Amino acid sequence: MLDNLKIFVRESWLLVTAALLCGLLLAATNAALGPRIQMNKTLKLTNLAAGLLPEAKNFVPLPEPIEVKGLDGKPEPAVVFKAVVKDKVVGWAFKAVGSGFADKIDLVVGVDASFNKLTGYDVVASSETPGFGDQIKDAYYRGQFAGAPAERFNLVGFGAANAADIDSTIVAISGATISSTAVVQAMNHYLPQLKEQLQQKGLIPNDNNP
Amino acid sequence: MTTTPDGQTGLYKDAVANGLWREMPVFGMLLGTCPTLAVTAAVKPALTMGLCVIFVLVCSNIMVSLMRKGLRPHVRILLFTLTIATFVTIADLFLRAYQPVMSETLGPYVPLIIVNCVIIWRAEARASNSGLILSIVDGLAMGTGFTIALCTLAVIREILGTGRLFEIQVLPTTFPAWAAMGMPVGAFLTYGFVLGFINFMKRKRV
Repeated sequence: MLDNLKIFVRESWLLVTAALLCGLLLAATNAALGPRIQMNKTLKLTNLAAGLLPEAKNFVPLPEPIEVKGLDGKPEPAVVFKAVVKDKVVGWAFKAVGSGFADKIDLVVGVDASFNKLTGYDVVASSETPGFGDQIKDAYYRGQFAGAPAERFNLVGFGAANAADIDSTIVAISGATISSTAVVQAMNHYLPQLKEQLQQKGLIPNDNNP
Repeated sequence: MTTTPDGQTGLYKDAVANGLWREMPVFGMLLGTCPTLAVTAAVKPALTMGLCVIFVLVCSNIMVSLMRKGLRPHVRILLFTLTIATFVTIADLFLRAYQPVMSETLGPYVPLIIVNCVIIWRAEARASNSGLILSIVDGLAMGTGFTIALCTLAVIREILGTGRLFEIQVLPTTFPAWAAMGMPVGAFLTYGFVLGFINFMKRKRV
């Protein structure tokens, strides 16, 4: 037993020590750069949100964080910003995550001040196939959401409805059904949850008690 | 590798000559071709990739050289991979923190440096049996050779593909930009022609 332990230590001490050192080095680097990376992500999100809510002068995070259920059903902190002009709320921007063909799709979604109408969405990060799934970044698909009611969306096949109609029916991208579904699924997953949470906090008018 | 009467100096000179010409990773040994083809559509990403590879090569060579006396054959590759992966992750985090746009442009190719054969080749062939200074010189030379190769291809592709270099117009605006040069086909063609030219020059010298 002792001999086995000696052999193990003799053969693996360098690997164990190197793994510990590398782990420490990575932890230190992550601790040093993590806040800056997070700040870059937030900056990118708000820059994209500014394109969805052009009248907004500033994007302010909520004073109290709110929690929503993620796609996997586990609770996660919601990333929500108030779009403001001189303290007046002109809209809302939030991050939504969809399950795409290659990986998760991170979206930023813009909604009007009363949370009734979408101003659109933009793609923060995606690894969808160029020429197919990445068409979710194009005007054809994104345009269907701009001005649409902030309620449950239905996805229909290409040609089953008119894509130019701004309503809750979304026409899928031909050859990219999974990516199209991911965007609609993200909207349907996050919109009602956030609306309910913001209504509960009194940040937006309640539909039943305006 | 040759040894000269002045010993170490000859080894250093050899290491530099190997990295920059004789065993140049991309044109001499045909190693690291994945990033060579993928990130050379423009000079900026090519240069960034080259600098990342230099950083990882030098750091992993330092660490492997320091560990060389304790290396056991069966954990050797495991240790090399651990070391390389650590420094690649640090380079990736640094880019994400200070060059987020470039980090997105390079996409998965920075994390993929982990599987770049040039780095594990130098760890095995040089750092695992050489002193610290020689390993550093080797890493710098090989990394610089790799960067020069990437930038050579990128200069050709960017100029012919866009008529611009570092976002400055260098060809007359009447020049019809060859869009194919920005695509994978342009990468393969440019690599092939440059490689053919280098081989032609080498044979001519012989």
